[in-house]
Amino acid sequence: MSRSERELDDEVEAHLAEAVDDHVARGLSPQEARYAALRDFGGVTQVKQVHREMRSCTFMNWLDFKLGGRMLVRYPGLTVVGGLAMAFAILVGIVIFQFAALFLYPSLPLPNGDRIVQLNLHDLVENETEKRALHDFLSWRDSLRTIDNLGAWRDDIRTLIVAEGDARPAYVAEMSSSGFTAVQGQPLIGRVLTPEDEQPAAPAVAVIGYELWRTRFGSDPNVLGRTVQLGADHSTIVGVMREGFAFPVSHEMWVPLKIAGVDQAPRSGPAITIFGTLAEGETFETAQAELTTHGRRAAVEQKPTHERLEPRVVRYADMMAMNGGQDAVFMLLIYSFIGMLVVLMCGNVGLLLFARAASRESDLIVRTALGAGRGRIVAQLFAEALVLGGLAALVGLAGAALVLRNWAMTFLEINLGRLPFWWDLSLSPASIAAAIVLTVLAATVAGVIPALKITRGMSDRLKQTTAGSGGLRFGGVWTVVIVAQVAVTVVFPAIVWFENVQLGRMQDYNPGFPTDQFLAVSVERDAPVDNDGTTDAAAVEQNARMAATLGELRTRIAAQPGVAGVTFVETLPGGESPERRIEMGYDAAEAGRRNPDAAAPIRWATVVETETNYFELVDAPLLAGRGFTAADAEPGANVVIVDQAFVDNVLLGRNPIGQQLRLVRPGNPAGPSDWYSVVGLVGKLDSGVPYRKGPFAGFYLPSTPERFDNVHMLIRVRSGDPMTVAPQVREIAAGVDPSLRLVQIQRANELAAGMLWVIRLWMSITLAMSSVALLLSLAGLYAVMAFTVSRRTREIGVRVALGGSRRRIIAAIFRRPLIQMGIGVLAGIAFIAFMTFMYPSTEGPGAGQAEGLTLRAIAMQAGYAALMFGVCMLACVVPTRRALNIEPTTALRTE
Amino acid sequence: MTPDRGDVVYGSLGLLVLTTLHAIGPMHGYRLARRIEQISGNQLALNQGTLYPALLKLEQMAWVSAKWGQSDTGRRVKIYSLTRSGRKELARAEAQWQRSAGIIARFFKLSGHTA
Repeated sequence: MSRSERELDDEVEAHLAEAVDDHVARGLSPQEARYAALRDFGGVTQVKQVHREMRSCTFMNWLDFKLGGRMLVRYPGLTVVGGLAMAFAILVGIVIFQFAALFLYPSLPLPNGDRIVQLNLHDLVENETEKRALHDFLSWRDSLRTIDNLGAWRDDIRTLIVAEGDARPAYVAEMSSSGFTAVQGQPLIGRVLTPEDEQPAAPAVAVIGYELWRTRFGSDPNVLGRTVQLGADHSTIVGVMREGFAFPVSHEMWVPLKIAGVDQAPRSGPAITIFGTLAEGETFETAQAELTTHGRRAAVEQKPTHERLEPRVVRYADMMAMNGGQDAVFMLLIYSFIGMLVVLMCGNVGLLLFARAASRESDLIVRTALGAGRGRIVAQLFAEALVLGGLAALVGLAGAALVLRNWAMTFLEINLGRLPFWWDLSLSPASIAAAIVLTVLAATVAGVIPALKITRGMSDRLKQTTAGSGGLRFGGVWTVVIVAQVAVTVVFPAIVWFENVQLGRMQDYNPGFPTDQFLAVSVERDAPVDNDGTTDAAAVEQNARMAATLGELRTRIAAQPGVAGVTFVETLPGGESPERRIEMGYDAAEAGRRNPDAAAPIRWATVVETETNYFELVDAPLLAGRGFTAADAEPGANVVIVDQAFVDNVLLGRNPIGQQLRLVRPGNPAGPSDWYSVVGLVGKLDSGVPYRKGPFAGFYLPSTPERFDNVHMLIRVRSGDPMTVAPQVREIAAGVDPSLRLVQIQRANELAAGMLWVIRLWMSITLAMSSVALLLSLAGLYAVMAFTVSRRTREIGVRVALGGSRRRIIAAIFRRPLIQMGIGVLAGIAFIAFMTFMYPSTEGPGAGQAEGLTLRAIAMQAGYAALMFGVCMLACVVPTRRALNIEPTTALRTE
Repeated sequence: MTPDRGDVVYGSLGLLVLTTLHAIGPMHGYRLARRIEQISGNQLALNQGTLYPALLKLEQMAWVSAKWGQSDTGRRVKIYSLTRSGRKELARAEAQWQRSAGIIARFFKLSGHTA
């Protein structure tokens, strides 16, 4: 029995008892009093029944939902279209919500994860974190009372050499042993690091992660005690962590943080990250208070270094969060965006539900006559929308789970590299709660707005008693909805088309040499432990060492039987070589001839720093002048080689040999660079950005690899798959210098694979959105047409009966959707045109050129618009046929 | 001559409840039924049970509120009281009633009957 039922029983019983008391006081016997009380009350059962019925009429009841379910079956088209639209809106909303939560409110999936903290030294003047905090770490470790397990780590990617020929980079954390206790990390076999391991004289040991153990050591149960080479050092493995352990961020190997021999002066030494756990009974506030006291003291005692430093305690998971995870405004923006998306999509569904409700107008009028208030009818239509929304939410959530599981993490990895272990994109309870909120929002927009509209003036229509004779009409809001919908339908495929153009460019991108014969390797080197305050002399020495190392690497790899040659470049083909502003030697003279005060024209070219043997290795044909010689790489040689595109786009056909050019470098206090002489011309050797319109004018600066900002190695193989030489390359690199890291080894023709994946992903997303938009437009137009026809059945019948021309009748019906569609298509095309003009390629040699707005593109757009128009017209065919087939007698009977 | 015990004018029970609650203050269902009968000089034959759907309706309109309490005899009963919007509704309904009654009275006057 329900609570309200029980309460009614109690109330009636109390009523009768009070009445019995009264009657007894007036002299009746208890039994007579009871009869009298029951008689005065009237039928108890009937009263309870009426009460019950009235209660169930309060707002919504089970029947409304049942009716909503029946409506889904009775209008399958609407169910599919409206449901899909709502599901899509909810899916997108949930995915965005999950991403936002990941960046804004991350949490550590660890026991006591919310009590693990990070301690920062914040530089108030520079507004950034001072990472050289070893001095403060040591002082805090000895004195902080509110924080336990205080430890520090520094990040390192090092070459891990497990066996001869097996040298690959590993993500290593040099970490205090307290890191394991702070997060309660347990070893699978062996042990974790201990404070003894951190002693200067302690033997070098390492703990490895589960994945590393599985992939590099073949899950060897006897791995403990094995010695591996880690960069230049050797370490003995003492433990394997359990699966999933990756503290501090995404690490797979741990070595003790030995700080005994390191510079411990204030604001000096290596960059470290300090962590700890809040002590029992302490909070962020008490910890911050203690740290602040410390900071104030340090600011006085160590004024020169600590005056503007403020120690801060933050949640550990906020390390990678945006704005420390506290930015409410940003979150509000994201929520508003999700809300807007749902409102927009469901506004369209509302249009469909309005048309459906309009077709049931007489039914609703009868309900009003029987006493249902406006609120009741609105509640009923809301319940119907809620049923549809609930179904859509299930589909949307399933879709979101699929998207998040299959693509989202890959997307993040491609964009951000290794992801912290606490990033988890599987559906959370918060997302399910968000889905519920979105569903209610969706049902409100799709159900309540049309319901309010249709019930307005219902009682007046009740008096007219002629449903379908006017009164109810599609208002301006729905017109705007349809027009916007059609416009979106026009715009989205244009976006797909642009994406496809980009994709095509990337796929067809031809750097001008046989990339399938090359292996591309990115080379990095372990940073020295304490490289702060490096002097010029030290830098020179470091450069010299690097030059020697890379030289030897080249010689030894080139000596391999399968290798045809090796060269170093600063940017890999297709790797977005930097574009620089340049000035030609003749610019000033020519400008002077036209107008003495005129500035030199702005020109752009991509600059590629290469070794002098680059052109020989990639078989670039020399069209004029000479190739590079070894002397050209010396500082002060100041020569360059340009490509054919440079001659075409910058020199406009002039003879390149002997021309002078320099880099303009605006904003650089040193002013323009020295003048360079062009000594040679190579054929097509595209160095541009693959997804932009090329070819880009490019020129090549001879240099030596140790002077590159980024060092890449191109290895040409004699035959077969270039990947086959990869193991030898790794082995040689480890042998030449264990601190060299071969970060990425790829086939040179697969360099753009990640980028291609992302573009394809975007394309699928836009395609899905276009389909939903198209579906909604068609359904919307259909609904308007069907509605119009049903409204005007009587009129059409009379016209047909009086022999009105079919053409004029059709014209009368079509006028409205035609106008709406026309405006929509025009608005869409106008938007595309606007975007094309607003965002042409603004830099580079193609500056000012409206990208994609060629005659062909315009023709395609026009063709597409016509197609859209036709498809939309199709939506009008069924209702029109229905209208024309109306029998006059039937029409006159439709009331 | 014994007075005719008439039925409650259709639709006016709610108004009677609001007026009674306004005049006397919060009370439980049985007391309310008895008060209405007494105020009418026992001229209204109220089926006391019909009071409860009326009270529910008034509650749904938020014109009265109900909470559990104790009667004079110590029983657990639901006690009803007038809300602020109930008071407003009462003022509105009273004005309307007076107007309608005035109009009808004029017609009776016209036909020579006196009330």
